[in-house]
Amino acid sequence: MVYSLLRKYTLIITEKPDAASRIASALDAEGKAEKTVENSVPYYMAKRSEDVIVVPALGHLYTVASAKKRKREYPVFDLQWVPRYLAERGAAQVRTWLKVISKLAENADRFIDACDYDVEGSIIGYSILKYACGGKENTAQRMKYSTLTKEELEKSFIAPLPHLDFALIEAGLTRHEVDWLYGINLSRALTMAAKNYSGKYATLSTGRVQGPTLKFLETRERSIKCFVPTPYWSIKAGVEIGGAVFEAEYERKAIESKAEADAIIDSCKGKDGKTEKIEIKEFRQMPPLPFDLGSLQSEAYSLFRYAPLRTSSIAQRLYLDALISYPRTSSQKLPSAIGYKAILKQLGRTSEYARLTAELLAKPALKPTEGKKEDPAHPAIYPTGKLPERVLDRAEKNIWDLVVRRFMAVFGEPTIQQRATVTISINGNHFQLNERRTLEEGWLRFYKPYVKSEDTVLPPMEEGQRVSVKRVILEDKFTKPPSRYNPSSLLRRMEKEEIGTKATRAGIIQTLHSRKYIREEKIVVTDLGFEVIDVLKKYCPTVVSIELTRKLEERMNEIQQGKETRENVLRGAIEILKPVTEKLKEKEQIIGARLSQAIQKAKLEERIIGACPICQNGKLVVLRSKKTGKRFVGCTNYFEGTCKAAFPLPQKGLVKPLGNVCKSCGWPTVRIWMKGKRTWNLCLNPKCPIKEKWSENH
Amino acid sequence: MERKPLKCKACHREVGDRDFCLLHLKAYENIVKKYAFWRKALKISWKEYLSEIKQNTLTREWAKEVANYLVNNEE
Repeated sequence: MVYSLLRKYTLIITEKPDAASRIASALDAEGKAEKTVENSVPYYMAKRSEDVIVVPALGHLYTVASAKKRKREYPVFDLQWVPRYLAERGAAQVRTWLKVISKLAENADRFIDACDYDVEGSIIGYSILKYACGGKENTAQRMKYSTLTKEELEKSFIAPLPHLDFALIEAGLTRHEVDWLYGINLSRALTMAAKNYSGKYATLSTGRVQGPTLKFLETRERSIKCFVPTPYWSIKAGVEIGGAVFEAEYERKAIESKAEADAIIDSCKGKDGKTEKIEIKEFRQMPPLPFDLGSLQSEAYSLFRYAPLRTSSIAQRLYLDALISYPRTSSQKLPSAIGYKAILKQLGRTSEYARLTAELLAKPALKPTEGKKEDPAHPAIYPTGKLPERVLDRAEKNIWDLVVRRFMAVFGEPTIQQRATVTISINGNHFQLNERRTLEEGWLRFYKPYVKSEDTVLPPMEEGQRVSVKRVILEDKFTKPPSRYNPSSLLRRMEKEEIGTKATRAGIIQTLHSRKYIREEKIVVTDLGFEVIDVLKKYCPTVVSIELTRKLEERMNEIQQGKETRENVLRGAIEILKPVTEKLKEKEQIIGARLSQAIQKAKLEERIIGACPICQNGKLVVLRSKKTGKRFVGCTNYFEGTCKAAFPLPQKGLVKPLGNVCKSCGWPTVRIWMKGKRTWNLCLNPKCPIKEKWSENH
Repeated sequence: MERKPLKCKACHREVGDRDFCLLHLKAYENIVKKYAFWRKALKISWKEYLSEIKQNTLTREWAKEVANYLVNNEE
């Protein structure tokens, strides 16, 4: 039964159940809040001088939807905020959730929004207070905190902000509405064009940020696919100094003509070298900046290969455990109010960090290195100093350790390195030897093992010294195609172009994957991705324009600063979308044909196991016998009668192409999943040496 | 009588009155542009160049398809 007492209470709304539990425990006088579960909805009673009930949301409980029920029709410009269960399939739980919150709101005499202090959190709290609590959005107070530690929660409860941040909410609501207008209209236009042409339904989507993101992936893919390498040569000389041989590089890294490279080699043959110049320079390498979400995601990808979405969900779990501060921040600042010393002292309780924290605490003053980026709501990501109360899994441990070590590193001294360049002349041809030596380690030792500094040390040398040349090597090289984006570099590009927000970027990359516009970790744009972007570029270039998306983003930020209004921005978005949807409708037939073909091709590609090893020009796919209905792997030319390649398959279980070839015979391979059995990889070659060896042994 | 639309010489996309579709056209332009570098580097003929890039593992898909077509069809 929903909590009902004659006594009134304060109702606190949080974003997620974990946060509710932690806030309630922090506010309870004995640290043990009482948990009640009503129709699967948990809420918590914290007892102190006043009664407090903490009820969580489940993320967004309200969403934007069309004011009229016209599924699959476009254009749609009339929108409203509705409970999620009315707009989304599979959101039935939200109905019960809202009922429980509404019931709890009836007996509350004070309301506090304690959702995460950012755009999304503010909208979640605002919409619940407005729609589920009977219009309490104007009287509710706001808890603002950056960590879920007892101290900070207590402080933010005792002195909450007097009201919600309405400017932030207005900006957030506009962002949701603009994104909905773009998403619903453009996605419906693409989906319906393909459906009306082929009669088959397949979800295609694009959006305000999705389109431009796919566009720069497509631009990179195009330059890769059209790439023609050019030859060049590099020359190295093995020179003997102090009994050891070192490789010196020719002063020009790339020589574009073979004749010229040969001439240099000839001129060096049989000649000794002489050190002409020794240049020594000292460099200071400043400590790294504190983590914001983007740089944490980027670092976690380069160190552990965690996709950005994975890193943000791990960071969110660490935040809910009060181990780190709020991760969805774009700040690179660490204000002194967070209490550097107290954090370091607490971290020093573990042997792992004891020596390093003691070193920092012995400094006369602690001053962090900071970046330019600020976030009005939260500081950069930092460890709270609290130690884990449960066993962290490996990924959680990695991210926590990374945050801790980065926090320590920002208080370190600059690293001082010495770089020496020795120029050696071999018959007038200049070669260079490089030395790198760390003079003072500085912050590096706080950030190990996440940073490596390998010194290359040369024996003592002086100008005019003769050196013996042991060999001169000519290396044939070719220019390489541009590198592919990976989830981390794509995220950085989105950040640089200022499209999307720190909370949405990783999800957008995920959507591009799930729509099958892109594949693989080193991102490859699929034919379907090419077709979608071609259609958008041809018929509505404005919606894939990075410039336009950025401008819209700026206008939405201006709402937060009070320089722009929600109505103006929405009107502007509709003005862009109206002609676009008209054009898409007018060209629906042509667009439908192109997209349908691309979908069909994508589906076929998904089924392709590999190149046919028999006819060499067909592809192997899973087929079914017209007579028996049994499945087998056959060539795409099988039913045309031009290739008889056919290989048996187990009749039960799931068959998935592995996308690689057998290491033993080079034939395509598949993976078989069978219920209750271990999955196994199957090489299609009936005469594969591995299979023959296996039969002999069994 | 209605004229059949022409197909790209390197794939099956319809191209109107051009030789290559837009994707392969860019690859063709790139092949032509890069020949100057190869000629300077190795003093080789256009034909030799095409056969070199056709075999080179760093030449990417569309450029390879165009090079393949040119090797088989150019005089």
